[in-house]
Amino acid sequence: MNQAIQISGLQKSYGDTDVLTDFDLSVPQGNIFGLIGPNGAGKSTLIGILTGLLDYDEGKIVINGRELNEQNELMIKHEVASVLQPPLLFEHFSSHDFLHYICDIYEVDSKTRQHKMDSLLEYLGLTEFEHAKINKLSAGSRKKLSFCAAILSDPEILFLDEPFESIDVISIGRMKTILNRLQQKGVTIIITSHILEIVENLCDDIAILHNQKIIAYLDSETRKELQKDASLSEIFESYVQVEKPKNDVLKWL
Amino acid sequence: MLRKLIYLNWSAFLNRLTNFQSFLVIGYIIFLLILFSNLLGSALVIVLFDQNPMVTSQLPWLTDQIHQLIILIFANVLWILHFSFTSTRLLNMQENRKLLAYGYPVKKLSWHLNLLGFFHPLNLIYNFTWLAFLLMQIQNLMYIPVVITVVLLNYAVIYSIKHRFLKIVEKRFKIIIFSALFLIFGTIQAIAIISRQFEQIIVHYLPSIEIINNYLFYTPGGLLQYTATGSYNLPTASAIYGFSALLIFMIFRDHFFKTREGLQKPVRERNIFKRNKRWYYLKKWLGHNAGKFYYYVFSHSYNRLQLLTIALIPAVYIPLLLQLGNSYYSALLIPIMLAAIPVALLAMGMANMFGYENKEFLLHKQFPVSFEKQLKERFLGIIVVPLLIFYLITTAEIIYLPQLGSVIEIYVANTFFFVCFTLVFLWASFYYYQQVNYSSFSFKHPIISQKVTFMMMFLIFGLGYAVFAPLGEYQVYRLWVMGALIIAIGIYLWRDMDLLVRAFNRHILHKVWANSGQ
Repeated sequence: MNQAIQISGLQKSYGDTDVLTDFDLSVPQGNIFGLIGPNGAGKSTLIGILTGLLDYDEGKIVINGRELNEQNELMIKHEVASVLQPPLLFEHFSSHDFLHYICDIYEVDSKTRQHKMDSLLEYLGLTEFEHAKINKLSAGSRKKLSFCAAILSDPEILFLDEPFESIDVISIGRMKTILNRLQQKGVTIIITSHILEIVENLCDDIAILHNQKIIAYLDSETRKELQKDASLSEIFESYVQVEKPKNDVLKWL
Repeated sequence: MLRKLIYLNWSAFLNRLTNFQSFLVIGYIIFLLILFSNLLGSALVIVLFDQNPMVTSQLPWLTDQIHQLIILIFANVLWILHFSFTSTRLLNMQENRKLLAYGYPVKKLSWHLNLLGFFHPLNLIYNFTWLAFLLMQIQNLMYIPVVITVVLLNYAVIYSIKHRFLKIVEKRFKIIIFSALFLIFGTIQAIAIISRQFEQIIVHYLPSIEIINNYLFYTPGGLLQYTATGSYNLPTASAIYGFSALLIFMIFRDHFFKTREGLQKPVRERNIFKRNKRWYYLKKWLGHNAGKFYYYVFSHSYNRLQLLTIALIPAVYIPLLLQLGNSYYSALLIPIMLAAIPVALLAMGMANMFGYENKEFLLHKQFPVSFEKQLKERFLGIIVVPLLIFYLITTAEIIYLPQLGSVIEIYVANTFFFVCFTLVFLWASFYYYQQVNYSSFSFKHPIISQKVTFMMMFLIFGLGYAVFAPLGEYQVYRLWVMGALIIAIGIYLWRDMDLLVRAFNRHILHKVWANSGQ
């Protein structure tokens, strides 16, 4: 199977603090890929590197068959979109102007873009905020708007950093529908989330990131086996092996 | 509780201090000391100079009435300065309101914020000057509480008016501009007429000075002056004191409630805002990057006010200086002020640039457009608009003010002035990037602070003197030097613009990423 993303020997540190050490990962094309890990594991850093926001110290990254370097950077960015946490938006635009701006950048066809925008906004319950300034929107609406912008750019690879946090249940369902449709079109989707139930139901393969590297890679077959006896949450805890607190540590509570 | 509030704001202030900021703060403190000594010194001189026998012998025309007139004019000028420069900003509301979630009662926080606002150095300077100015003139001890109360009342009233004034300016910006320009030009013409016919006017109005003084007592400065020098008895003093105290109480109570409301109900603009063509045209003329930047700049009312100030100051002073005829000062100050207009616009653009470089850049970095191209477009956009103004002003100078010099002299001098400051601002950007201090101005408050304004004024007049001071036969050498430097700076700017891109990527990006909460 073709790999959408291949990472080998990735090294990233902030000053003296190592965040990713000798990091390897392969994400199959057309996969909805879950990346989970404790807080501070490096998930967001990894996504920052893959979206070109952060550089890295060592390693090799290949995205859609192209190595991530200066020469290929712009071509890769054409094919990649992301929803980061918190979402990155242009605060002083209205939702309408912001989405048009994104469509201009990604050269979305001007004849069809308005229809696409209107349908996405309606589907995610954002129509009433179409002409509201972004800095007045709630956290959930901002996340959904960022999601709309990512979809409109028609990516081949989509990075979603905690996409369902602050989102209402109905919108979560609709976002999942959109992601499934994208997968059917062959889009590769990488999701990080702390809501393991969603990751469990939505993702094909799951990787656990801890101590600066991938400590477990659960493809769909492995997951079926493991999840006969335990939930993803229990599997996660067994791999991460967080030290259990002493029984009396909260005796004052 | 108050200590908690002071500690929070003091820590935030210290956190923001870089070496450069510390330098600016020191400059600002010096500026405040100069201002204070000037104001207080002027007040002392004006009140006491008629008692000096040397002065009375030198100025035989200085009668009591004329002295009174001078004092009243000074009082009103002081009031106008006080009104213009009173600080009405409370401490950072957005940050301080977080204290509400940590046990700080809203009433106490509102009261303490207003109290600390009173202790802004500018407010202290002006209020103290008023006290000194008025208390020097009292004849009776019973006037002391009256004067103190009235000075406080003056502060409260100015504070109230200014808040409403700023809101009115925001809503009726165009009317305010035109009215202000009309008033200013009228005043300039009046001053010009008076200065040309000073002796005739003085001789004509001298017998009526007492009437003029009586009218001036009804002006704000005059009313304050009356509390110190008017003749009133104890019941009247008590009435003034009581009434003023009541008004102060009511005004500050009003401020207190407004602050409390502001703390608990952050202002929500209408969800639907009027779509205007501004973004469409800016995008069309300046492109996605520079267009977006200017769209943001013009969204902010502070920037519109700054633009008004940049337009008004030369509009006031240049006609005034032209009235002075061909003196040395007008030959020097007029070209400096005209050359300073595009520089001030450039400074405004760069100031906004710093505050603008926030996490929105992280989204820009993801676009399939070279980041170098985006940054360069933005910087060039910031330079292009002042450059256009620069060309318009230079052309107007050449056509309408030929007395300033030949075509080549005006053109070379203005160009040199402009490129020097372009270089300074780009170096400042680069310096900030290297220090990983990308934002000395918050986008929420992009107004150029007084300490930066003070330093810029110093640089503008310093360089202006070097460039525009008449040198007689040595002028031609200065032209050659400036011409060579213009070429060198131009090549340097063109070739090394990408230094900023590299500095941003190397130093700033990580900090922006970390600060954005990723």
